[in-house]
Formats: sequence, structure tokens, C-alpha cells
Amino acid sequence: MLFNSLSFVVFLVIVLALYYSKLLKWTGKKRMLLLASYVFYGLWNPPLVILLWISTIVDWTAGNKLAIETNKKKRKMWLLLSMFVNLGFLAFFKYGNFLLENFTLGMNALGLAYEPKPMDIILPMGISFYTFQTMSYTIDMYNKKIKPARTFLDFALYVTFFPQLVAGPIVRAKDLITQFYEEKKATSQQFIWGTFLLTIGLFQKVVLADTMLADVSDEVFGSKDLLHSLDAWTGTLAFSGQIFFDFAGYSTCAIGIALMLGIILPDNFRYPYASIGFSDLWKRWHISLSTWLRDYLYIPLGGNKNGITRMYVALMLTMLLGGLWHGAAWTFVIWGALHGTYLVIERLLKQKINVKINAFNGILLALLTYTLVNFTWVFFRAREFSTAKNMISSMLFMNPEGAKILHDFDIIKVLILTSILFICHWIMRNTSMKEVSQKISPLVLGIVWAIMLFLIAIAQGSSEQFIYFQF
Amino acid sequence: MNLKQSMLIALILSLLSLGAWEMYWRAQNKLPDLDDNKDLWAVQRAKAETLSEDGVILMGSSRVLFDIQLDQWENETGVRPIQLASAGASPLPIFHDIVNNTDFKGTVLVGVTPGLFFSTTFPKAGPWKRAQSRVDYFEDRTYAQRLNHWLSLPLQKNLVLVSTSEEGWSDDIDLKSLLNNFNSGDRTGKPQYPPFNTFAYIGQDRNNPMSEKTATDTAFANSIKAAWKFVIMGNKNPPEKEATTNFFVADAKKFMERGGNLILVRCPSSGWIKEGEDKFLSRADLWDPLVKATKANAYYYEDYDQLKDLECPELSHLSATDARFFTTELVKIMKADGALSNSKTN
Repeated sequence: MLFNSLSFVVFLVIVLALYYSKLLKWTGKKRMLLLASYVFYGLWNPPLVILLWISTIVDWTAGNKLAIETNKKKRKMWLLLSMFVNLGFLAFFKYGNFLLENFTLGMNALGLAYEPKPMDIILPMGISFYTFQTMSYTIDMYNKKIKPARTFLDFALYVTFFPQLVAGPIVRAKDLITQFYEEKKATSQQFIWGTFLLTIGLFQKVVLADTMLADVSDEVFGSKDLLHSLDAWTGTLAFSGQIFFDFAGYSTCAIGIALMLGIILPDNFRYPYASIGFSDLWKRWHISLSTWLRDYLYIPLGGNKNGITRMYVALMLTMLLGGLWHGAAWTFVIWGALHGTYLVIERLLKQKINVKINAFNGILLALLTYTLVNFTWVFFRAREFSTAKNMISSMLFMNPEGAKILHDFDIIKVLILTSILFICHWIMRNTSMKEVSQKISPLVLGIVWAIMLFLIAIAQGSSEQFIYFQF
Repeated sequence: MNLKQSMLIALILSLLSLGAWEMYWRAQNKLPDLDDNKDLWAVQRAKAETLSEDGVILMGSSRVLFDIQLDQWENETGVRPIQLASAGASPLPIFHDIVNNTDFKGTVLVGVTPGLFFSTTFPKAGPWKRAQSRVDYFEDRTYAQRLNHWLSLPLQKNLVLVSTSEEGWSDDIDLKSLLNNFNSGDRTGKPQYPPFNTFAYIGQDRNNPMSEKTATDTAFANSIKAAWKFVIMGNKNPPEKEATTNFFVADAKKFMERGGNLILVRCPSSGWIKEGEDKFLSRADLWDPLVKATKANAYYYEDYDQLKDLECPELSHLSATDARFFTTELVKIMKADGALSNSKTN
């Protein structure tokens, strides 16, 4: 089910009515939320709920065993079981076709004629999110960082909680399971703020991403022509805006919906396009994934404790796997590699150059970072390397005679929107929406809110799927 | 921060502005209308799963959609057909789906618009892709998508402000379409699509009469003719006569062998479109060999005195009045031939 759909409106109203009715006690409410979460997921493809159940049962069992087991070998076996099941799901459902394609290419390169039948595997929505979330529980249990969930219901709800089930934020057990222990009820301020966040999230998705930017990005990246620089840049900037509004929009909706239930989810984005450098970017973009990768991949790989070379290797590996997490294609690996390279170069530069950031050089460095990020988006969005290569060459002004495929209005629209996006991120860099909204008058906030509602209503379209569902 | 106050202001202002928006578009003569989208098609396609031998399925391109009116068909035969024709699309993928994915052995009427029927069997070509994408959607649609469609119907029927279209008509009023109308300043050097406004009103069962405006307003009809000119003149692909005929004949044979009743119909066209069809997609070259190969009951409108002089206001489809006449007369002819039975009297 999509947040930007009529069925979700009805679903949410029913869930909220039951949640705040006096018919159910807290355990009953949690059961209702769990059932609602399965319905939320199952309305897309009912049989794939079984994967959620298997993940839940395996990690619940592993967690309980890890809570009492003292034998190191056995503890490791329980951890490996969890990782085998969860990563096995990912390997089969997400990377099965990719692995087979590359295996076939390898065989053919060795001169062996091998042509397997395509596996035609369906990708379960949000599998990368919920497997990472449930694995974090077992890994934290293994490292004795958390206590086991009190009840199976609490744990199952943690794995399946519908607001963040299919596209995050990837929430740690310590931050979410404990919230299920005591009855939760949003205050009226929380409820209204949650509604406001839901509106902003939908506005980002429906109006900004789908209505304003998606077509330009699709047209440019779908073109087989060698493009003019202006078209290539416009298409890439459009995608940079689209991916942000799409994904941040989903996270904002998720946080808002959870808040309407009195549950607090962590921020997933903090105005990333105003980042000064790439370390800063990864503290602001998809925060729940970057901290997951830091805690469960980069640090176990040695982090910065085994010398500079090992640190860079760990960093590159983390970013390469982070790229692959987003999709089963080499273009995503290149995207991760570029980010890894940027991070390594930034650390090397920081050792040699000490720049004191002020407003003037800050915005220039943020603009430089945003520009470099745009080059990485080319690999993220392009379906083929040939497209990415053509786009990059056009963005480097190497094709002055390239095809002009965009209309003037599209170019102006994208340039204005992405400029506003960048400026807003810069202004908001060290503050938050809540702080800003506290400073403005209720009338202004109400008018802004009404404009967003109006634009969402007249922009309604065919309920486009969120991009990150496929990851 | 007084959030309650803000929320109240937001609710009042958004309701007022949406009300004003609705009234504005109604004042511009916009009416609530359903979108002929893949959901509407899929609901009809689902009915074919359980259709008895008495059932009738219509398929083809927009000419069958406009020219065969379901009420008249039902009046004449007692059976309300299922309308699966799809505008701008080849009927081949849809017929293939019905033949191979259902056990249906009733009547299938296939409209033969030569420019589309004989266009292609290439999966990525527009006429094929448009039809196949609907078949695929029917097979893949989720329960959430079914629910969304079901919930959207009362809104589409009653509010102008929610009207939008999968087709992307020039007179759509969703935000994206309105913004696209600003698209002045062309730097691409390519021919630009002329305004192409919607010219029919479709019902929940996909009964699709032409709008009164198209039939009576010559300037409006001319704007549709300009769009046809752009589409037809822009198509440089020659028909794939052999591939399309062979593909269809294989399915036709399978369908008729299991007892199915196949009817081919060539609907009217007028003006330069008819002249072009007669010259480049002629009856002798395409229609006659198809009829011979399928051995199906076949009806070419020009063979019947009462049908041959019908005029299409925008050269390719009949007005609602003429479509009702065409349907009634066509069914009478088919009944007289024994190609159609009459459940009403049987």
C-alpha cells in the first residue's frame, strides 16, 4: 500500500479509530497494529508476508537464545543463522538474477557456452529495509548491547511496524521495541504535528518529486541520444531533487504517521544538499542506513583502529556494499565506489588542509559537494553504463553539439526548483522544521499547510510508487 | 506554536480553495468524468474469466470503443458485451490473452483498424505495448490497486477537480498537465504535438460515446483532425502484414476450434483518413486476405447501404448518434447472417 493512495487514507482512518477507541487495551492495540501492518504489506502481494514471518520467527528465536547462551561457539551459530536467513533472502530475491547474469558472463568469458533460463524472481517490497532492521536486533543481542524483546508481539511489531516497514527509517531495536512496552498515545500537539509531517511528506512526493521533476529526469535518462550539456545537467539536477523529495518524503510521512500513534521515529534526513563534504553528507542523507553500515559493517571491518590503509579499505568496502544494497546492478556499485573515493579524498585533504568554515566558503563548499553528488546520481539513475558515460561526458561539456530534448519551461522549472531546494537546505542546515515552525505565526503556518493540501489534491495522479521501495 | 489554530486555518483554506477550483472548472464546462485507464480496463477483463458461451467480448482500437454502443447491442441481443477495445492499440495482444489465458468460447468481435491491426508484432512498438501493458496490468495488479480504483470511482464520478487521465490529454486539469501547457519556447527543433483534447465520455463499463461538442463544434473537431494528421503523418513504419496476420490467424484458429465465434468488423472512416487507408492500407491488400485466412464472419461497413455513407466528425470515429445507429444496424445484419444469436428470443 502506498501512502499517496486512497486506500491508505481509508486504512489510516480505520487504524487511528481503533487505536484511539476504548474497545482495545494496549496489548489489543498492538495486535491490531501488527495485523494492520500485515494487511498494509499483504495488499501488495499476500504470499510475501511469509518472508516477514520467517524473518520475525528466526530473529526472535535467535535473540532469545543469545540472551541465555554463554557458549561462544553456539552464540556465533545463532548469529550466523540469522544472517544466513536474512542475507539469504536478500541474495535470492534481490541479487539472484544479478548473480546469475554475472555467472553467465563469467562462463561465457571462459569460452563455456552457458545460457540459463531467466529466474523471473519477484522483488519483495522493502526487503532490504526489514532484513537490515531485524538483523540489527540479533547483532545487538550478540554484542550484548540490548535486552531481548519482552514479548513476541513486541518483537513482531518492531519488525513489521507499517509506517516504516517498506522504506525505513531502519530503526534500531533499542529505539523502537521499548516504546511498545508502555501504552502510547499521541498528545494533541504530537498528533497535529504528525499530520503536518504527513502533509509535507506527501507534498514532497506527489507535488515536487512526481509532478515537477520525474518527467524531466525520465526523459533525459531514457534518451538514447548524446545530449547537450544543459539537458544533461537539467536531467541530473531533476533526479537529484526527485530522489530527495521521494525518499525524504516517505521518511517524513513515516515519522508523521508514527507520531500520530504516539511513537517516535528517528530523523532520516537533515537537509543533505547543504552538506559540506561527504562525511557531512552521510550524516544527513539516509541517516538510518549510514549509521547501520557504520555500526554493523565499517566498525566490524576495523574502522579507523587498524591504521590508515585498513581504514580506507574498510571505508571503500562499506560504500561499495552500501551501493549494492541499493540495487543489484554494477551502476550502483560504481555509485558506492564514487562515494567511497570522495570520502577517502576528503579525509586525505583534511589531514593537509585546515579550512575554517564561514558563511561564504561554507556555501561554496556545499555547492561543490552538491555538484559532486550530482555526478554520483548519474550512476544511480542510469540503467546502463553507456547512458551514464554519455551523461557524464555531456555534463563535462564535451558534447557541444549534443541533442536538445528539453523545452525551455522544463529547464527553467528544474533550475528554479533545485536552486530553491539548495538554498532551503542551506538556510535549514543548522536548524529543524520544528524550530522554524515555532518561530512563525500560526496563520502563516496554516496558509503554507493549506497551499500544500491544495496542491496535493490537484496534483493527484496515478499513485506513483516510491523509488526506494525497490531497494 | 499554536498547531490547532494552524490546522484549523489549513482545513478551512484548503476546503475553500478546492471548492473554488471545482466551481471554476465547472464554469469552464468541465464535467466529472471517468478515466479510461488500465484499472477500468482490467475490471472488464476480469469479467471475461467467468463469461458463459452466450457472452460477447468486443476488442479492437478506438473505433470499436466509439462506434459500438453497449446499450444498443444489449437492446438488440439481450446480451451486454464486455468492451475491451483499447484506443491507439493493436487488438492482437488482447485477443491473444483471451484465447490463451481463458476458456472463453462465446463471441469475440474484433475491430480491424488497418493502421493499428496490421501495424506490428514488435513488443516495444507503441500499438503493441499499449495493449500488452493493459493485459500485464490485469495479471499483475495488486489488491491495493484494486481497492484504490474502487475508492476513486465515486470521486471521479462526482468531482471535476480529481479528473486526470492516463492518456495525458491536453485539456486535463491535474497540476502536471496544467504546467505542461506552459511549455512555450521550443529548443528541440522537433515537430510539436498539437493540442489533443479528450473527445468522449466513458462509462464504468467502458461504454464510450463521442462528446456532443466533437459532433457539433467544427473547430473542435478540426483540432482532433490536426492531431490525427500529426500522428499518422509522423508514422513512417510500413505495416507488418505477414507477421500480424499470421499471429492473429494462429489465435483465431485456436479460438474457433474450441467453438468460439469470431467476428471481424471494419468500422467507418472519412475524408483524407479514409483516402489514405484505401490507398496505403487497402482492403484488397490487408482485409480480404485476413478474412480468407481466418474464415471468420466479417463485416466491412462499405458493403452495406445503410452504413457506407456514415460520416465521422473528426474523420475516424462516429458521433454518439451515428454510433447508436451503426451498432443497431450492424447487429441486425449479423443476426440475419446467423453470426449472432439473439438471447432475447432464444
